[in-house]
Amino acid sequence: MDVIGALIGGFGTALQANNVIFLVVGCLLGLIIGVLPGLGGTSGVAILLPISVYIAQANTPTTAIIFLAGIYWGALFGGVVTSILFNIPGEPWAVALLFDGYPLAKRKGKPGVALASSFLASWVGALFATILLTFLAKELADVALRFGPAELFAVFIISFATLIGLGAESPMKAVMMVAFGLLLAAVGFDTISGEQRLTFGNLTLISGIGFVPVTIGLFGIGEIIASADEAGIGYVEKIAARVGLKDVLETMSALRKRIWLVIANGVIGFFFGSLPGHGATAGSFLGYGLARQWSRNKQDFGKGEISGIMAPQAAADASAVGSLVPMLSLGVPGSPTSAVMMAGLFIWGLQPGPLLFVDHPDFVWGLIASIYLGHFLTFLICLLAVPLLALIMRAPHGILTPFIVIISVIGAYSLNNDMKDVAITIVFGVIGYWLRKMKYPLAPLVVALVLGDSTEREMRKALIGSQGDPTVFVASPISAVMLALSVLLLAWPFIGRLLRRTSAAGTAH
Amino acid sequence: MFDTSDGALPTSAAGVPGGLRGGWYPFWSAAVVALAGTVVAVRTLRSSDMGPGPFKDRGAVGDVAKFILPMAITTYLMSDKLLGFYVASGGYIAYYAGAVARYRWYLAILAGVVIPVIVYAVFELGFKTLFPKSVLYPAVPF
Repeated sequence: MDVIGALIGGFGTALQANNVIFLVVGCLLGLIIGVLPGLGGTSGVAILLPISVYIAQANTPTTAIIFLAGIYWGALFGGVVTSILFNIPGEPWAVALLFDGYPLAKRKGKPGVALASSFLASWVGALFATILLTFLAKELADVALRFGPAELFAVFIISFATLIGLGAESPMKAVMMVAFGLLLAAVGFDTISGEQRLTFGNLTLISGIGFVPVTIGLFGIGEIIASADEAGIGYVEKIAARVGLKDVLETMSALRKRIWLVIANGVIGFFFGSLPGHGATAGSFLGYGLARQWSRNKQDFGKGEISGIMAPQAAADASAVGSLVPMLSLGVPGSPTSAVMMAGLFIWGLQPGPLLFVDHPDFVWGLIASIYLGHFLTFLICLLAVPLLALIMRAPHGILTPFIVIISVIGAYSLNNDMKDVAITIVFGVIGYWLRKMKYPLAPLVVALVLGDSTEREMRKALIGSQGDPTVFVASPISAVMLALSVLLLAWPFIGRLLRRTSAAGTAH
Repeated sequence: MFDTSDGALPTSAAGVPGGLRGGWYPFWSAAVVALAGTVVAVRTLRSSDMGPGPFKDRGAVGDVAKFILPMAITTYLMSDKLLGFYVASGGYIAYYAGAVARYRWYLAILAGVVIPVIVYAVFELGFKTLFPKSVLYPAVPF
């Protein structure tokens, strides 16, 4: 009852006129920032952090945090737009949306359904995550602290394992792509020992190969090269991008059939988000992999399956909410964006951590109530904007194709203000086109590149802690169970193939 | 090679082996790429149905080359002290709209001017994200 009373008090704070206005402004700004290539929640919150100081002075720190949180939620919703419409991810967690979002928008000609599915799943996933945050924030923060390097390593391995089956045509090709992604992730400085790896004396490679330029190249540029090959360079894009109430109703009906999938992914994503430093990305990949494993229509994944959009999106948005758990309860940021928000707390004179709930209940519960409101408002704004956003797909190809190339360049360059990243994008555009042509799955490559660095770091940290003893990975029940499940998932495509062969041989005899 | 304590990093505390060296992880990643690649290659060579070639005809090769080459040249020209991002991207948009999509020349030029101007206003002025400038900078703002 204490929690309910505190939450009601929080709604009283969040619904004050100035807080609602700043929440709406934050959501709108975040939405715009999220749609722009190369900018996301972290950069949006960082750019507008100085403004939040004035807001905190003129109002209260609660208004300022509500404003920054609004930017975060808006950017999460906006970040899906370029993934779904242009096959260009702005953030790591949005990569999983490329697998089915773009095929549904382009190949099936349903950009409205693709966008509405993602927005709806975001909202529902975040809603359940916020309920968990409301009631279990402190307890979950304690559990998250028990996740050491061995457990985190197991989390990453299970993310790979669920995705290996994506290369349905050839699991061996998927294994090869995962290993290639891990190899690319190892380029540059070794974060443990500081030595250079795989740079071949080239100074520009010391900082490594970023996953964003590679992903933009593989999916964004690779796709338009493939279009030039398949349909000719003069191909005129014709996509039925009319969006109406019918699309929204279709999406609602699709959600009803997948509600448990979305809720389960919301819970998984929330927990992943609450692991300090490891947020939405692993959650969204695992969500996608699990949705595929559970689905009866595995063959539809990668071709525009709605579950392939809803599952990772629910997990990603729930992770963002979960990333506030360690920030509020422990004073440890759960994601890069919450780290910037935490900097705001220090600037406004607040100390994040367990005492925040005691010393500043108005602040904490006002923020939690604003998460409910912010997600709902952003969802409504996005739903109203779907027809406009989907119209982008009707732009004439003579403009749209070079425009996609230019925004790919912007997305790659603006990460580090480095033309090296642009060169990587173009090179991986050609590689992605060729891999696609040779029927190699791209998803496992990207997942391995995104998570490879963290996987290696956690593995080596665990081994350092155990003085090189590999049994550390099965010493804890959590990591032992997850690793056993991973082995089973990895072996399953091969076992399935063997069983089919045995059964076919039996029938022949 | 499998021994996770052999050749490990020394730890400062007790001087005992503490973990893997930097080369362990990339070595095994490369080994898996090589192994899986060999399996895929052997399977493909043993397969009786080799399928059609990668391109449907010579026209497809030309279309791909006509797309990749201007894009690669444009990104090279975007570099600092060459044409810069805005001039090179405007030129590329105008080229694509005019030469490939066969728009009227004035529409192609219009697209080549309007899109970089919008990008300049949003990123350069709005978000202070600076892109490479041409050799004429700072005489001109781009």
